[in-house]
Amino acid sequence: MRIFKRKPRIPKELLERKSRTEDLIRGIAIETNFDGRTVLKGVDLAVTKGEVFVILGPSGCGKTTLLRHLSGMLPPTLGIVQLFGRDLYTLKGKELAELRGRMGFSFQGGALLNSMSVLENVALPLRESTDLPWEKIERIARLKLDMVGLLHAAHLSPSSLSGGMKKRAAISRAIALDPELIFFDEPSAGLDPITAVEVDNLILKLNKVFGITMVVVTHDIPSAFLIADRMIMLHEGRVLARGTPDEIREMKDSKVQDFIHRALPAEEQRSGGLARFLKT
Amino acid sequence: MLPSHFDRGVVEEYAPQIEEVLREASKGEGKALVELSAVESFDSAGMAFLIEALEQARAQEVDLRFVGVRPAVSDFFSLVGIERLLVPEQQAKGGNFVEKVGDLALPMMERLGAGKDLLVEAAHSLMDPSSGGKRAGRGRFFLELEHAGIGAIGIVSLIGFLLGLILAMQAWVQLKVFGADKYVADMVAVSITREIGPLMTAILVAARSGSSIAAQLGTMVINEEVDALRQMGINPVRYLVVPKVGALALATPCLAVLFSTIAIFGGLLFGVFVVDLGWQVYIEATSEALQAGDILGSLIKSTVFGTLVATVGCSLGLNVKGGPVGVGKATTGAVVASIFMIIVFDAVFVLLLRVGA
Ligand SMILES: Nc1ncnc2c1ncn2[C@@H]1O[C@H](COP(=O)(O)OP(=O)(O)OP(=O)(O)O)[C@@H](O)[C@H]1O
Ligand SMILES: [Mg+2]
Repeated sequence: MRIFKRKPRIPKELLERKSRTEDLIRGIAIETNFDGRTVLKGVDLAVTKGEVFVILGPSGCGKTTLLRHLSGMLPPTLGIVQLFGRDLYTLKGKELAELRGRMGFSFQGGALLNSMSVLENVALPLRESTDLPWEKIERIARLKLDMVGLLHAAHLSPSSLSGGMKKRAAISRAIALDPELIFFDEPSAGLDPITAVEVDNLILKLNKVFGITMVVVTHDIPSAFLIADRMIMLHEGRVLARGTPDEIREMKDSKVQDFIHRALPAEEQRSGGLARFLKT
Repeated sequence: MLPSHFDRGVVEEYAPQIEEVLREASKGEGKALVELSAVESFDSAGMAFLIEALEQARAQEVDLRFVGVRPAVSDFFSLVGIERLLVPEQQAKGGNFVEKVGDLALPMMERLGAGKDLLVEAAHSLMDPSSGGKRAGRGRFFLELEHAGIGAIGIVSLIGFLLGLILAMQAWVQLKVFGADKYVADMVAVSITREIGPLMTAILVAARSGSSIAAQLGTMVINEEVDALRQMGINPVRYLVVPKVGALALATPCLAVLFSTIAIFGGLLFGVFVVDLGWQVYIEATSEALQAGDILGSLIKSTVFGTLVATVGCSLGLNVKGGPVGVGKATTGAVVASIFMIIVFDAVFVLLLRVGA
């Protein structure tokens, strides 16, 4: 079976940087080009077991793209992704399937299959990856729905759920196979502040109670600082800062500070503008 | 020097001035200044005017600068990414007739290529025991079959019946001139079975199912549902494409048989009640005219057409880019490309089976 149409290019010197430690995820010099446009450039990161790792950055800076690289959905143009100590984009069908069973993914828009009910959506990964009889699967699926407070919506169609319910249903599907690792793409985007906090709490709860490692992509700064054990800040495809929330808050770098306080650096706003043609 | 309120009311008055300034500058030292110190407010038309001026300046290799800009106006300036707006316009596509036909046919060939790749992948995923999506995919085949097959029975029957009638009428009008009324049955039977039945059925299937396949898969792509499947270890080709291709490959020949049968029945009604041929005569003539090869050929043709429609729809749907607009394009594209390819393949069949033999 052909899984990836292409493989990332890996320069020799990168091989020496491969992780031999206990990092759950390691990204080395990840670079992405879409039709000649560079979206990510030299991104390095390491996620430790058991932590909530946040990737923070403004809209369109390549967060979703990075998450897709890390979770094995899209090979980067260049670089290495190691997951559970394995080289992700060299794996073949069976090994890859085995890795996939150990991780869950909650998509930006939920990505629930509209052709089936919420319960069936949660049951789908179970049906696909286990040999359990349907009664067992249904019981597990209902359990997972209950964990996110959605049991009452089990038989609804995804299209009739509200935004927050869709997010929770997606999380419930992501935890269906008891993963060790979950990727979240913008868990609180598009939600009102109260529902967003609920989703944040749910992430924290899953992390603390089940010890699931979380990789969370977000542009929501308060949420990022609330849930993160460690974080990286992306800016124009590069890592601008990395560290614990406290470390980042203390950073003097003006771009970091501006970003935390939700403003773009003034000189940067100017440089691309018509203002360049002003005679000073 | 521009006025204090530079907006859509006045911009046009200044166009000749700017042109004049630029012309002189391009002859002279290649530099020009525009005085904006009097300008207190701007609107988008004013902004567009300046951008246009910059564009002209660039074309004439003049270094155009604005002087004396007030802070309020300069803030307005900083919002606009001049580089993005100053991209050179793409050359309009002209081309002669041959090129235009080429522009039309080439994407079709590309789609055919993409479709072939997808079909190969589908076959692979079907053979490969480790390919994810088998369990979840089970049962989907029957759903698809119901949707594409059972759902189309009504319209296929109706159009088949009407076309049978029409064909019999047309044939009769021609044949009675030669006093050959009784050949109406032969005409209808042969033309329907060999050509019109499979072709019309395939076109109906393309319009009904080809479009819905492309729209459904396209929507799933932009909702990240396809990514979600892949992430859950379910091969989208196995789960989505295989049942659809299988269902259409089976449903289309069945529908073609239905179409042909009902069309022949329509012709029979006309033959019996208008031409006055008698039931038995008509039925005998029909069964004599039809050869097993015709029916077999029609079945094979329809299977190919069905596979074609499903594959084209799937490949366009799975490759949707650019949100809902992309889904719309894929849907239209699927119908147009399917019908085009059906006709091309039909021509190939005729060449191989009739002319070649
Ligand atoms: N498959 C693709 N083909 C071409 N360009 C793409 C593709 N996917 C993403 N891009 C581009 O890459 C850039 C980064 O996209 P990405 O979705 O990763 O951003 P993001 O940080 O997740 O943004 P948001 O916060 O809005 O979700 C965008 O400019 C986008 O247009
Ligand atoms: Mg995103």
